[in-house]
Amino acid sequence: MIESQCRPQFNGLELLEDAQLNKRILSTGCERIDLLLQGGLRVGHVTELAGPSSSGKTQVCLKVASHVARKYSGTVMYFDSGNSFSPKRIVQFLTQESDPANTEVDEIVQRVMSSIVCYSIFDIFTLLDMLHQLMNNLKSEIGCNVRMLIIDSLSSLIAPVLGGGGAHGHALMVTAGFLLKELAHEHNLSIVVTNHMVAGEAGSSKPALGDSWKSIPHVRLLLHRYRATNDSCISILKHPYLQNCITVPRALNL
Amino acid sequence: MEVSTLPISASHRGKLISSGYTSLSSLSSVSPSRLAQDLKISENEAVEILKVVSRRSGSEKIENGNHAIMNGAQTAWDMLHEEESSVCITTSCSDLDVILGGGIHCKEVTEIGGVPGIGKTQLGIQLAVNVQIPSGYGGLGGKAIYIDTEGSFMVERALQIAEACAQDMLEYDNLLRKDSQACRVIKQPKAFLENIFYFRVCTYTEQIAVINYLEKFISEQKDVKVVIVDSITFHFRQDFEDMALRTRLLGGMALKLMKLAKQFKLAVVLLNQVTTKYKEGSFQLTLALGDSWSHASTNRIILHWNGDERYAYLDKSPSLQSASAPYAVTGKGIRNAAPNCKRVKLM
Repeated sequence: MIESQCRPQFNGLELLEDAQLNKRILSTGCERIDLLLQGGLRVGHVTELAGPSSSGKTQVCLKVASHVARKYSGTVMYFDSGNSFSPKRIVQFLTQESDPANTEVDEIVQRVMSSIVCYSIFDIFTLLDMLHQLMNNLKSEIGCNVRMLIIDSLSSLIAPVLGGGGAHGHALMVTAGFLLKELAHEHNLSIVVTNHMVAGEAGSSKPALGDSWKSIPHVRLLLHRYRATNDSCISILKHPYLQNCITVPRALNL
Repeated sequence: MEVSTLPISASHRGKLISSGYTSLSSLSSVSPSRLAQDLKISENEAVEILKVVSRRSGSEKIENGNHAIMNGAQTAWDMLHEEESSVCITTSCSDLDVILGGGIHCKEVTEIGGVPGIGKTQLGIQLAVNVQIPSGYGGLGGKAIYIDTEGSFMVERALQIAEACAQDMLEYDNLLRKDSQACRVIKQPKAFLENIFYFRVCTYTEQIAVINYLEKFISEQKDVKVVIVDSITFHFRQDFEDMALRTRLLGGMALKLMKLAKQFKLAVVLLNQVTTKYKEGSFQLTLALGDSWSHASTNRIILHWNGDERYAYLDKSPSLQSASAPYAVTGKGIRNAAPNCKRVKLM
């Protein structure tokens, strides 16, 4: 019974082929971030965006969604838990990017907007349901065109069940994390989740969800906005092959 | 363990696991009566559990005619059109409406914070009245729910604001439709009060209970277009020793309000108090309830004094730029700040 569960092995060469063929790097549409990440967000990776409130997490998500849907003409799934998905802002990004002389802007906007699929989620069980459903659909090859999954914000779904008596909330969080990783790897998705900040020791703040979450995302990025100058900066907290803690300032309006 | 990810009660979950039902496949072929026997629960409960299981494992089998990847999902294109046709709730202050992109948006949660006496409650009452402006006058023609935790809702004041609002509508009528439909029914100020549903809560348990009840209430009442909580903070700032519990309760409450906003296409307005925070060497005023709470709202407006004038600052919004605008609290309610007119302090 257990033997039938065994997965086939791969050698390094096959892995490299898979990496070159399927695990592409998706550009985020923001030059500075692409530069920082050496190209952008990798397919097969779970990327976490952490940062305080109004530091630009949702803006980065919307920007990435619009750019990926446009450039790679694939479907982008957007799970929204804060009613903050703003189609207007996406139209703004799209018209900014395109050449004003181009007369086909409206068509592009319509095509891109139709390939961004938004779903409102307000509890962790619905999230797990949706992830299972997505996995089943991708297995049976419905919507195999999905390139990216964005969850904004993951932490607000997990926070109400985490902690307190019992480890159940914790189990739910880790289950969600593993599901995301499996989805990303098996079905060649790039996954972006957002996380908020909580107060840590000595008045500093740190990303929420605790230590066991830390090991789940492949890439962790920290956003910060300087109130005085309205500049935002982004830095790497964790990355499998890039050096840590490089900071690149970027303009707020991306 | 797959069963631990199912949305079922903790006692059922425990019974399932201790009876050996740990995977979804082990539950797929069992009959309700057998399950009820094994778990020592009623058959109805067993049926409920199996329903949840089949929803999880059988989601792939649901055939819906269209090619949607997910059930219930919406494309951004459809959402854009929906947003374009939706109406905002005006604040009665045109400067403020401009920075908010037309007013308070439906389907979003807006947090409004500021120091005591800046006019948070006034703005709350104003919105409860303005949501009732009929669609013929560019309003929503909806009803309001006002959840009062501080006891600061003044019904006389609401009547005053409603009278001013009715007056404005009358003037608008005289201006534009002199001859057409002379006997158009103008809303009586008292009719405004009839459509404000007021809940007074005295503890945080009551507050949670009311918010849980809202879903049922709104689906019965229809037409509720705004839910105002004045203030979300009050009961959560005292009597709390376990701050982690507070964060969890607030997080859960925020998600429930978000869900209401989306489901019934209504605006949720949360009023918040301020607190001081030690940051970068000095004490600064920030909104209460901490960092985690600051993620709970879609939009955030901070009301503050600037010299002698009241200002509103849009601090957070997914689609609009940060900006600030002056406003005034007058006898009629919230209005534009009058230029070159010194505010008279009432003693």
